[in-house]
Amino acid sequence: MCMNGFVCCDFMFLFVHSDFECILHNIPLSHIFDIKTFSLPSHKIQTLGQTLLSEKLTQMMEWASKRSVIRMNGDKFRRFVKAPPRNYSVVIMFTALQPQRQCGVCRQADEEFQVLANSWRYSSAFTNKVFFASVDFDEGSDVFQMLSMNSAPTFLHFPSKGKPRRSDTYELQVRGFAAEQLARWVADRTDVQIRVIRPPNYAGPLLLGFLLAVIGGLAYLRRHNLEFLFNKNVWAFSALCFVLIMTSGQMWNHIRGPPYAHKNPSTGQVSYIHGSSQAQFVAETHIVLLFNAAITMGMVLLCEAATSDMDIGKRKIMCVAGIGLVMLFFSWLLSIFRAKYHGYPYSFLMG
Amino acid sequence: MAEHHAVSDGKHKASTNAGGSVHGNSRPGAAGGGGGKGGLSGGLTQPAGWQSLLSFSILFLACLAGFSSRLFAVIRFESIIHEFDPWFNYRSTHHLTTNGFYEFLNWFDERAWYPLGRIVGGTVYPGLMVTAGLIHYMLNLLHITVHIRDVCVFLAPVFSGLTAISTFLLTRELWNQGAGLLAACFIAIVPGYISRSVAGSFDNEGIAIFALQFTYYLWVKSVKTGSVFWTIGCCLSYFYMVSAWGGYVFIINLIPLHVFVLMLMQRYSRRVYIAYSTFYIVGLVLSMQIPFVGFQPIRTSEHMAAAGVFALLQAYAFLQYLKDRLTRQEFQTLFFLGVSLAAGVVFLTVIYLTYTGLYAKIHIPIIASVSEHQPTTWVSFFFDLHILVCTFPAGLWFCIKNINDERVFVALYAISAVYFAGVMVRLMLTLTPVVCMLSAVAFSSVFEHYMGDDTKREKPPAEDSSDEDDKRNSGNLYDKAGKVRKHVSEQEKAEEGLGPNIKSIVTMLMLMLLMMFAVHCTWVTSNAYSSPSVVLASYNHDGTRNILDDFREAYYWLRQNTDEHARVMSWWDYGYQIAGMANRTTLVDNNTWNNSHIALVGKAMSSNESAAYKIMRSLDVDYVLIIFGGVIGYSGDDINKFLWMVRIAEGEHPKDIRESDYFTPQGEFRVDKAGSPTLLNCLMYKMSYYRFGEMQLDFRTPPGFDRTRNAEIGNKDIKFQHLEEAFTSEHWLVRIYKVKNLDNREPLDHKLRSVVPKQKYTSKKTAKRKRGHIKNKLALRKGKKLQKK
Repeated sequence: MCMNGFVCCDFMFLFVHSDFECILHNIPLSHIFDIKTFSLPSHKIQTLGQTLLSEKLTQMMEWASKRSVIRMNGDKFRRFVKAPPRNYSVVIMFTALQPQRQCGVCRQADEEFQVLANSWRYSSAFTNKVFFASVDFDEGSDVFQMLSMNSAPTFLHFPSKGKPRRSDTYELQVRGFAAEQLARWVADRTDVQIRVIRPPNYAGPLLLGFLLAVIGGLAYLRRHNLEFLFNKNVWAFSALCFVLIMTSGQMWNHIRGPPYAHKNPSTGQVSYIHGSSQAQFVAETHIVLLFNAAITMGMVLLCEAATSDMDIGKRKIMCVAGIGLVMLFFSWLLSIFRAKYHGYPYSFLMG
Repeated sequence: MAEHHAVSDGKHKASTNAGGSVHGNSRPGAAGGGGGKGGLSGGLTQPAGWQSLLSFSILFLACLAGFSSRLFAVIRFESIIHEFDPWFNYRSTHHLTTNGFYEFLNWFDERAWYPLGRIVGGTVYPGLMVTAGLIHYMLNLLHITVHIRDVCVFLAPVFSGLTAISTFLLTRELWNQGAGLLAACFIAIVPGYISRSVAGSFDNEGIAIFALQFTYYLWVKSVKTGSVFWTIGCCLSYFYMVSAWGGYVFIINLIPLHVFVLMLMQRYSRRVYIAYSTFYIVGLVLSMQIPFVGFQPIRTSEHMAAAGVFALLQAYAFLQYLKDRLTRQEFQTLFFLGVSLAAGVVFLTVIYLTYTGLYAKIHIPIIASVSEHQPTTWVSFFFDLHILVCTFPAGLWFCIKNINDERVFVALYAISAVYFAGVMVRLMLTLTPVVCMLSAVAFSSVFEHYMGDDTKREKPPAEDSSDEDDKRNSGNLYDKAGKVRKHVSEQEKAEEGLGPNIKSIVTMLMLMLLMMFAVHCTWVTSNAYSSPSVVLASYNHDGTRNILDDFREAYYWLRQNTDEHARVMSWWDYGYQIAGMANRTTLVDNNTWNNSHIALVGKAMSSNESAAYKIMRSLDVDYVLIIFGGVIGYSGDDINKFLWMVRIAEGEHPKDIRESDYFTPQGEFRVDKAGSPTLLNCLMYKMSYYRFGEMQLDFRTPPGFDRTRNAEIGNKDIKFQHLEEAFTSEHWLVRIYKVKNLDNREPLDHKLRSVVPKQKYTSKKTAKRKRGHIKNKLALRKGKKLQKK
């Protein structure tokens, strides 16, 4: 299931990747300026290192207090992350957030990274051991060059001692970029446990409140004529909608997040129906929802045809339409089910 | 489908009267009362007798069909308890019948959750065991000596018959008798319910659905009549439900919701007040008598909605009372609005909290690891309900269009149950009854209009219309709106119009659909839900059957060849079976109450041998039992479950176990050479594939080819240091290892310190110049003088 989730992410990756390569080739090398070196008397190095370290630390703390993810360019990166006297770890996200890069994954990853950094920044255990920073491609392309990196987003951990090792590169393809996964990785690398606290999503309750307010407002405006509240059709229709949504497996979609449909990369053929009975595509559930609705409508039409007081011709049409709807869509649904559930022996009207 | 033919054919038969009455006597009295009442309203004429006779025989046939379609497993295999949880239920029922009820309530099981033990009496819903025990006792009292196992095996099918009857009663209250009969037929054979109630599946759900439906029937009855008698019946039934299944929470939320919505719809009446006030108080007191439930009904959020609605109802009734006394109408309505709004907000927040809690629980690994806690795909809906899932929205539509007090209830039931079924596959079970009822409503209203046209023409018109009228009246006796009467007169006109051709075509097609439903149900029951999963069967190309009885073979080996107090470690799925069949002490079992203990077992399984040995020594493990399907291609084995062990272990011991270590760098879980070295050396892998590398199953495949995962294993040279193979079943499905005791002499991990002999002092002096030298002469070494401070 997770693998399905990553299919689209993978595509995005390829896209960004290729984009980057061509950009990197176009960058004139003259942009990359070298590090200024300065020589000092040897007996001062020790104390200077101390002061430099504390200076850097206070600087980092100041930035971190302003924003939980420190934005870095090449210069800052070299000074605060690459240069040696350092007793703090830095977790850096290399990304490309500029709109012209069109990196959707970067934006999602950035949100998760922000969640993680905020959880750390505002937790009671916050210390100056770990900092979170980000380098944007358009601000620090030289850093990308320096680390010979050509895809984004990438998460790297720069430990307080020694050089980054292989495990200091976050395996984005494998683990995904959920803040919880990132937190586990950070805990693994730095021994700092971060409890991810997501900011509560106010959108749902707000929307609900807005909806209620609108309904209440309408009711208030039409308070002299509240008949519409007693309209059974409205209530029956909304109940039916809810039931159909649930029986077509939208809840599964909501929890598992499958792709809308699957496009075979080699043939370019789009399949809307998942081949296995254990999973489903979003498109498929919409189809099933429509089929179920059609069968329900057929049943209602059948009853209406027998009970309504319209003229006989119309009622006959209604009746035939009703039974037609029921039969056609049920057999169709059965054939889809049969295609998914291998070994199911029965079919009706269509193979 | 025989039932439907009986409906249409019944009017032509006359000579089956005597047989019918015999059938009627053999059924419980509730159905008889129902049928008789319909007859009475018809005025003791011939048609009424027909009707009750038909109802009896249809209900009886439905029960019979329900009972017999659940017997696939017994006929194919034997009378055996299925799966996992039923084994525990069987074991405790056995304990109950041998030691008595009080001993059962105080039972402390020291054979489970070693070394913690488990208080069984206080942590089970005893309804199931008590029911089976009671039936066993009654039968023995009548000198019908049956083994308790047979009572347990056949309990669920018998209760499915009772479910069919209570569904009939409920649907008759909601719509009419015809719909009730259809609903009874549906629920008797629908796979969504059969999945939990085949013979041998001795589980809470089997009896709980009956209790659920019967409670709802009595509730609807008490709302209709407003009599304390029915309400007390409802409370007793609710008490039975509470004693049987944790799903009673569904009832205690749905009934208050019903009352609340009734109040919102201004359908409040004295009847509702009496029913709910009585139900809440008596039901609350009764439900608290179950030891496992205890004080939960007044403490936890799931039960708060009921209390809130109770308070609200009292306030509302008080206001109603004031309304009669006071004159300022405006003030009162304002006050009422304020109160109801506030109460509504409280109610909704409580519900919201409850449901978010439920949702959050899904994401804990131990819960997520259980396959029945997954959300539901549309395929599962269709598989379990077939045509019913497509047609029941139509029944819901009819119910809402012709709303009354009890149809409000069924609409709420449908909407809430469909939500829960969408969230969790397992809760499909609570959706199934309401789907059967509403589908029956839809089908019966179609049949009502399209069937019976020919008979009407044959009969004299006057008698026909009165009969028709009576039938309608008995069905919609409690309808408030006068709409249905209008329908009747319209229908009279209408029925002349549509013509017999269309009608018969529609009827035939509908019957065809129902026939397909019956065929589907039988197929699903036979193929998907009738496997005991303790005994496996495989079929050859020519159709002959091989029985794989490895599980029982291994459990019996344990029972016969190990010490009585031996402790067996296995993954929690097999805990109940080991306790039930092998009668040995287990470390963890399917009652997953202690996550850290399970995580410890998971850690032992997923660490390397020496680390695992430490854990196993600390837990006093004597034997380790694993399930390995690589030889026969059984997919539910421990290697396929292994990632869940790792995940659960990681949740408790994140320092030692990391899920990513068990994947290849590409993020795949592979058992062949490309698999991660951590996986290839962990205890579970080694135990599964020990000596498997020497085994060539087929000439086309290399030795050590795992049929389940279709891969040649990566580590063929497996040696154990602290374990030894004790038993492997015929098809290698179960493998048991003995944990060795500590060695008498522990071999050292490191080499012995090699003492290099010092060079012998040999004097360079010649023999002439040799003087003596002092052995171990103190050597003077010059040092610094200590500076005085």
